[in-house]
Amino acid sequence: MTMSSTLNIQNLTVSLRSGLPLLGQVNLTLEPGEVRALVGESGAGKSMIGKAVLGTLPPAARVSGGQIFLRGQALDRLNAAQRRHCVAQSAALIPQDPLTALNPVRRIAPQITDPLTRIHGWSTERAQARALDLLERVEIRDPARVMRSYPHELSGGMRQRILIAAAFAPSPPLIVADEPTTALDVTVQKQILKLIRELQKEVGTAVLFVTHDMGVVAKISQKVSVLFQGRVMEDATTEAIFTNPTHPYTRALIAATPSYADPSRSFSPVPAELIAQMKSEIAKEEVW
Amino acid sequence: MFLRTVLSRLLTTLVTLFGVAVVVFVLVRVAPGNPIAMMLPPGASEDDIAQLTALYGFDKSLVEQFFIWIGGVVQGDFGTSITLRQPVSDLVLARLPATLELSFFALLIAVAIGGVAAVIGARRRGSPTEAAVDLTSGAVLSIPDFLWGLLFVLLFGVLWPVLSISGRLDPRLEFDFLTNFVALEGLLRGRFDVAGSAFSHMLMPALSLALPLAALIAQLLKQNLKEVLIQDYTTLSRVRGFSETQVILRDAMRNAALPTLTLVGVQFTFLIGGTVIVERLFAYGGLGNMAIDAVINRDLPLIQGIVLLFAALFVAINMLVDLSYTLLNPRLRHG
Amino acid sequence: MADVSLQTTPRARSGRRNLRLWLPLAWISTLVLAAVLAPLIAPHDPLYQDLFLERLPPFFMAGTEPGYWLGTDSLGRDVLSRVIYGTRIALCVSLIAATATCLVGSTLGLLAGFFGGWWDRVISRLIEIWMAFPPVLFAVLLVAVMGTGLTSVIVAIALIDWTRFARVIRAETMVQAQMDYVDSAQIGGARRLTTLVSEILPNVLPSIVALLMLEMGIAVIVEAILSFVNLSLSSDVATWGSMIAEGRNAIHFAWWVLLFPLIALFLTVLSFSQLGEGLKQRFDPVLQ
Repeated sequence: MTMSSTLNIQNLTVSLRSGLPLLGQVNLTLEPGEVRALVGESGAGKSMIGKAVLGTLPPAARVSGGQIFLRGQALDRLNAAQRRHCVAQSAALIPQDPLTALNPVRRIAPQITDPLTRIHGWSTERAQARALDLLERVEIRDPARVMRSYPHELSGGMRQRILIAAAFAPSPPLIVADEPTTALDVTVQKQILKLIRELQKEVGTAVLFVTHDMGVVAKISQKVSVLFQGRVMEDATTEAIFTNPTHPYTRALIAATPSYADPSRSFSPVPAELIAQMKSEIAKEEVW
Repeated sequence: MFLRTVLSRLLTTLVTLFGVAVVVFVLVRVAPGNPIAMMLPPGASEDDIAQLTALYGFDKSLVEQFFIWIGGVVQGDFGTSITLRQPVSDLVLARLPATLELSFFALLIAVAIGGVAAVIGARRRGSPTEAAVDLTSGAVLSIPDFLWGLLFVLLFGVLWPVLSISGRLDPRLEFDFLTNFVALEGLLRGRFDVAGSAFSHMLMPALSLALPLAALIAQLLKQNLKEVLIQDYTTLSRVRGFSETQVILRDAMRNAALPTLTLVGVQFTFLIGGTVIVERLFAYGGLGNMAIDAVINRDLPLIQGIVLLFAALFVAINMLVDLSYTLLNPRLRHG
Repeated sequence: MADVSLQTTPRARSGRRNLRLWLPLAWISTLVLAAVLAPLIAPHDPLYQDLFLERLPPFFMAGTEPGYWLGTDSLGRDVLSRVIYGTRIALCVSLIAATATCLVGSTLGLLAGFFGGWWDRVISRLIEIWMAFPPVLFAVLLVAVMGTGLTSVIVAIALIDWTRFARVIRAETMVQAQMDYVDSAQIGGARRLTTLVSEILPNVLPSIVALLMLEMGIAVIVEAILSFVNLSLSSDVATWGSMIAEGRNAIHFAWWVLLFPLIALFLTVLSFSQLGEGLKQRFDPVLQ
């Protein structure tokens, strides 16, 4: 374990309280300023990793093994309040659905500045200035007016840009982006990806980017973890994944990605035999 | 847009009040027993009876009587009480503050108890604490104010006599009241002995009225809070470092309170309706207590006046709740 | 992956739910038995006044007389016998008044909800007017108009409380009337009224049953309230309400006269409402 890693996950196991495992023996590291994509089909457990780090697992699930080090701090050694504090100081979340991630009865301004003033201890003026600055940075026109608006007065794309601004506002060392473009239409998706990429470079934030879309992976990440049924099937650099995928499942996932650049390439689903074979391997492992 | 909503609400409200006026008028007129006969000493002559009957307008047809009465009501004249020989409006307005103080004190208690229980239940959702909140509120909710009142009379009036079980104020206190808002005036004019006495007299009746509503608020608000607490924006707040209690109070409360509010409005009118019997039980000098006396004494103008006042109060509260719902919800306010 | 279902198994709750049904049923069966067997089990004549035995305390206090378990009231009548005989009026009122209320309210609610139009306008307006009356005052007024007696009490309850049924059933009927199965019944050529009775009624029945149970408890209370203001039945019948009224007057001399009928009322009201909730849960196909 390197103490300099922003995030270091070792043998993380998450299971339902009934015992059913959701994640098994997950290992991954994230160095400062690095973007790592967590990719897999729905149900692969990719969102669970981010939730386990941020402490937002659903009540029915819990971490049943392994360790998470956030900037060298072992999270399981902290009590609930310390953990919350540690996560808030080091990490932020860009949520999946911008339509439900802003409080409908509060104006935009306090939703960006409240954490800055109340958790990070900034002055009101500094928080205000930072919010305006970042809103401008994410290409929102007339940010002063937007700050006074209610969420329902803004479009989905605008709301996601506001959420990105809010996530980057305290310059956190780590951001978990949980499928931040899934709920948006394709043209908006591109802008959002570009913004995350640019801000990430400017602020020097490491990003754990959860997605099911290999096309997005290619655009944003340096490292990739491919997940299947809660297991990491392959962990490599993005370049290696696309040029020389070692696991057959990774190859199948890449083949299953529709290509906008080359629409003639036909869309091919992950073969059922492959899935069945992987499932039986995981089942064998669990018996032992 | 907003103005039009207000106006149409006002119009239906008037129709409702008119309906109430018709129903109560018809009801008290078909009541057996001649109210005039009750007013006169035994052995009064036919002439006396006829004179008094004419004075109160009872010799005219029902429809005529109704429109004479309604015509007066519109001008603020509710007639004269038969038993108390005073204008109904004076009598009713003198008693209204007592009932209002009691009702709002009860509402305050209900919101406080129910709100705290809801927050605790939502904070500890899924735990035995939440189950305890559910069980208690379910049981408390099904016991009406009358029974709570009787229980309190027995417990704190007799078996462990710590509170007074009748009246509004310690009669030994001397104070020149400008209004009939005894508790409020005591507070505002710095006579805390007067205010204290008023509140201690109100405590048991108010608590009797408040408990069922508190239980309902606890259940509804907790349910609404739980629904809000799985929304993404609360997750985001937790990630940002806010504690669960902060998330509930800062993020969830306003969203959860809005749907609760409408129901609390309707239930508040039920609470005020409950003052009728609870005031009787605690010999509290409010409108309800007076109303029951009026029914027993066949004091028709007084009954009509009180029922109409209660009805006006109820529809006014419902209207206020609807309007405040619109005002508190940013989506409706601008929409 | 994002949404793992968070519900624990319903089996854990079923035990508590059964208790919720059986405890109330046990108490109500006791009441029925007491009402039927009153002459056999009551130790004394409930109306017999013995001024030498006035205000005897209950068995757990000093100065009792054997055979008067719960003491006597200010006129020397046996409290236990009066509580036992009081179940007759309580059950009679709750059964008849609640059924009458249910019939009136549910019918109007079904008509308003299903036919809409003028039916709904008139009935809704009536409900609104009725809701503007303080119910207790309304009841007192009605009984004063009709004269005291069991029939008056029952009619008064039905005339006042029908709105409780009408409001709920109207709303639920409206929801049901929107459903596809109603359309398909109509297309199948069923008559409107047949559809209402055979398709919609069964779906709103759980709510009707729950409300009916609730109303039974309320009816007992209303009778007690009317007795309390001396407007229910003549004094030659033992009722819990009249005992409570006497108990309130003699509270400083013989508080037990108030206590025991109060306990009976508490348990009865609680039982009916819990039974209603329990039945609703048991028969509601959606909740199962």
